[in-house]
Amino acid sequence: MVHIGDVIPSWTMDSVDPARMKTMAAILRDPYPVHWDRDANVAMGLAGRVINQGPLNLGYVVNMLLDWAGPTCIRRLTVSFARPVLDGDVVVAGGRVTTINVHNDELRAHCDVWLERDGERVVVGTAVVALSNNFAESL
Amino acid sequence: MITENELRALVGHRFPGGHYRIAHWENWLLTDCTGRAPMPDDLAHPVVLFHAPILGAGTSIAELFRLGQASGAGSVGLESYDWEYFEPLREDVEYRVEGSIIEAERTVNDIGNIVDRVAFQIEMYDGEMLAARVTNRWKFRRELLHADTR
Repeated sequence: MVHIGDVIPSWTMDSVDPARMKTMAAILRDPYPVHWDRDANVAMGLAGRVINQGPLNLGYVVNMLLDWAGPTCIRRLTVSFARPVLDGDVVVAGGRVTTINVHNDELRAHCDVWLERDGERVVVGTAVVALSNNFAESL
Repeated sequence: MITENELRALVGHRFPGGHYRIAHWENWLLTDCTGRAPMPDDLAHPVVLFHAPILGAGTSIAELFRLGQASGAGSVGLESYDWEYFEPLREDVEYRVEGSIIEAERTVNDIGNIVDRVAFQIEMYDGEMLAARVTNRWKFRRELLHADTR
């Protein structure tokens, strides 16, 4: 059963991995060197660090939602990116239910979602999540 | 630097359009990059909605950088994503993809740097059914008058 105000179980990435950024850059065909060339970031004062891809930061939030409500639960994600996430960072995805409604016979939770590093929110936004029959007593 | 008129002229630019099929290997690797075990039942990880629409629409991150006249490391940043899923995305389904640039505006941030904001919207269709829609907003930083890594 889900209620307005419920906290979604958090999801933690223990250490953002630069090797995964390289793989991600290849998949995305992403030529932006800030994700894989430490020297490219010297001008930004980030020498020795690389910047995680935004989709990966969002991916941690997605993983939290999938673990909570199932692999086909996501209907909408609306997020903004407040600060860059760097290799080696520990980030924690979190969320809270703000509204529950029915859309075309489907029970949905509207949630605030975020990604935090050391308590600072680096990604913030909202998610619309379909709730399975397991949550049917929510209304 | 791109002029304001050139920037505004980007609105309405249509990508060539095309098709995209999410391969098992790319879904597996993409999912692994997020730190998650492989998805069940041929489902694509929802984060596939970053690159599949861009590549399927016949464009690329590199071309989007060229259109916005990005000028090097630190000159491009993410503003926001709005991703809508109308059906679960799956491996080995051929999606028809089309999209365009829908917004482009010049702004000055709170420390005096010019920041051009460009938004593009791309839709993925499974047959005639709209399967997903993305609206991504990127920012292109111009002439860094002040140190700014946002």
